[in-house]
Amino acid sequence: MDEIILDVFDASFRYPNAPAYSLKHINFQVRKGEFLVIMGENGAGKTTLCKMLSGIIPHSQEGVYFGDVTICGLNSKEHTLPELCQHIGIVLDDPESQIFTTEVLDEVAFGAENLEIPTDEIQRNADWALQVVRMAGYEEKDPTRLSGGQKQRVAIASALTMQPEILILDEPTSQLDPIGTIEVFQVVRELKEKYNMTIIMVTHKSEEIAQFADRVLVLHEGEVLAMDTPQRIFRNKEIVDKAWLAVPQVSMVAVELEQSGIPLDAFPVRLEEGVEVFSALLQETEARI
Amino acid sequence: MREPVIQVDHLTYTYPNGFEALHDVSFTIEKNDFVAIIGQNGAGKSTLLKNLVGLHKPTQGNIIVDGVNTREISVARLSTKVGFVLQNPDRQLFADSVEEEIRFGPQNLKLDKAEIDARVEHAMEQTGLIRLRREFPMALSAGDRAKVVIASVIAMQPEIIILDEPTTGQDRRGCAQIMDIAKEFQRRGHTVIVVTHAMSLVAEYADRVIVMCKGRRILDGPTAEVFAQEEKLKESFVLPPQVTRLARAMSAVLPVDHTILSTQELSGCIAARVQANQM
Amino acid sequence: MIKYHAGESFLHKLDPRVKIIMLLILTILVFVTRNFPVLGLVFLLIMICWKVSGISIRELGGYLKLLVGLVLFVVLIQTLFQGGETILISPIIPDFVPLIGGMGSIAVEGVLFGLLLGFRLMVIMCLMPLIIMTTRVRDLALGFVKLGLPYRYAFMITTALNQVPVLQEQIATITDAQKLRAFTAFEDGGTLQKLKSYPALVVPLVMGSMKKSTLIGTAMDVRSFGSRPKRTYLHDIAMHGADWAFLCFILAFCAGMFTLNVML
Repeated sequence: MDEIILDVFDASFRYPNAPAYSLKHINFQVRKGEFLVIMGENGAGKTTLCKMLSGIIPHSQEGVYFGDVTICGLNSKEHTLPELCQHIGIVLDDPESQIFTTEVLDEVAFGAENLEIPTDEIQRNADWALQVVRMAGYEEKDPTRLSGGQKQRVAIASALTMQPEILILDEPTSQLDPIGTIEVFQVVRELKEKYNMTIIMVTHKSEEIAQFADRVLVLHEGEVLAMDTPQRIFRNKEIVDKAWLAVPQVSMVAVELEQSGIPLDAFPVRLEEGVEVFSALLQETEARI
Repeated sequence: MREPVIQVDHLTYTYPNGFEALHDVSFTIEKNDFVAIIGQNGAGKSTLLKNLVGLHKPTQGNIIVDGVNTREISVARLSTKVGFVLQNPDRQLFADSVEEEIRFGPQNLKLDKAEIDARVEHAMEQTGLIRLRREFPMALSAGDRAKVVIASVIAMQPEIIILDEPTTGQDRRGCAQIMDIAKEFQRRGHTVIVVTHAMSLVAEYADRVIVMCKGRRILDGPTAEVFAQEEKLKESFVLPPQVTRLARAMSAVLPVDHTILSTQELSGCIAARVQANQM
Repeated sequence: MIKYHAGESFLHKLDPRVKIIMLLILTILVFVTRNFPVLGLVFLLIMICWKVSGISIRELGGYLKLLVGLVLFVVLIQTLFQGGETILISPIIPDFVPLIGGMGSIAVEGVLFGLLLGFRLMVIMCLMPLIIMTTRVRDLALGFVKLGLPYRYAFMITTALNQVPVLQEQIATITDAQKLRAFTAFEDGGTLQKLKSYPALVVPLVMGSMKKSTLIGTAMDVRSFGSRPKRTYLHDIAMHGADWAFLCFILAFCAGMFTLNVML
């Protein structure tokens, strides 16, 4: 059986003065090395869930919190944020507000310095992290002058320097242009494939994640509406419509075909799969003549 | 031949620090068009928009908006001809209620009260904000905040409306609602210019696409024609919508004589072929 | 622009602590003394430092204009309003002017005091940017920490410096956004109108900053800011021979100046 690295048990959260709970009775588990994508409408509770999974709730965000989040065997209530940070890293959507220093290397070292880690170890980890995010050579550059994609990669490196086992990315590409988006997704893909890192990512960009998401968690009005493979989620019209999910166009074509009474052998979520499935369908019917 | 509403004539724009953001750009936008301007960050899109609304004045060349040279008109006067919806609503929302927020622009134009009321009402109606009129704008959802900003521009009753990356950070519902408002604005006889990175929305809504790259206009034409030029688009790091690429990749088994822009088009083509074969 | 300019000069390489001490001690000296030769020598030293740094004082651009304007303003105001015994011109306004005729006078003491204040201002305002422009923000912060300032405060200084351009960009965007809604009160409105329209600029700025500071706070927490009493520094600073030598020189210079101040 796969090792459970993150466990959320009956967790609820309400912001101070808010009339309603932002998250209600959330239950799910994440396996080591898994790539989990969180989708849902704005206001569904995605960012709040990221805060809960990373320990920001209850340590840095006030509010009413019930339930248990266990990160690498540590209950987030019983351990401090600096302790949790060494197991779980988080990258926020706004690249600007995560930059504290005037040089990339300092930025990447910032968290580790605060933890009083010896400088030679920081240097080693920072070098590795910058290499992973393909920003080696930018050590002395001013992070505020980088492109959006580069800033987000520096933010990822900053989290990686703390050597976490889980990485959470809260809409890391929502403010980026297509090149920046591709750059960030390439890095995330490498982290999964080469380093077997557990990754949890919030995003609306279904076409980009379809290739490497193991499962999709759909949040709707603070509750888990569904949690399944991208194929099953994107095929389920009821869920897609209810949560206003942005579905890859390949999958939309497939859904439309199925609706018009044409059965498909497989359900495509990636472009290449679509080419394969639809071409096979056409060739098959042609062969029958 | 339709009436031109924006004429950009050999526009070059250089920032005070010497950076040339736009180089010899010329094009004409006709009345009632829905134009998408696409390209990477740094391609000169924002600089171009700022020139169109008069925040920047051309270093060389001229821009004629609705018959007036942008050099000869104040930003405030120009705002009644061409409305500009900025990307981040948080950079302009300040009033206590949605209604007050929308009222701000017409009030600045010193119109009489009845006219202001009518405009505010009309703008809220067009953007579906009537039920939120008393709400505090900054506390609204991202989608509704964007709508308030669009309404506050519509209330200026401009001939042309420009939207700068209106769907950034929006979910699918927000994207659809915002683009539908723009489409409705066009349907009422106005002109829409939108800058965006969302190619599927460009394919769905725009009639014409202008591709910017390194301060130059490298492609311009009807949406289907522009998205057909995959090689040229690649130079400026633009990918056509997934369905367009899918149709292209399948052209060997499914020859189609035009560029596919929507999923319905493609599924329709496939279904028609399957059914024809089954006959 | 007043920000770090990369360079290899003696001043760039100087330990930030020495530069901070120099800034503090020269500031005290300039405020204590009323002696023009002393002020002149300090000013000369600062100008030599500028020369050594390899950075042209023209880099200051708009700041330099502001500085000159401010100094002239101070000199003028003091000259007009600081009275004295040795009258140069009196009255400033001729007697034949109705009502206010015969008022005001300019005295030697007033002129001198004005010049003194102007000089002080000029010395300080030339020195500060020099330090900022030759020292990396990181090293400046570390310098303060090593001199005993808690890291929290040093961090606040660096973050504030980092946020200045972000804030400038925000103000520019907000102004543009409201201009596009035909907002012209700040260009051609009356005083009342200006006051009434103030919220249109200030509210988005304040709300934006509040939102941002919450985000920054969260981002700091997840990177363990302030989690331990001490922290390590990837880039450390160390005093070398040249640093000690320059420190001695500055101390000796200031001692000399204080003596000169007392003697003259």
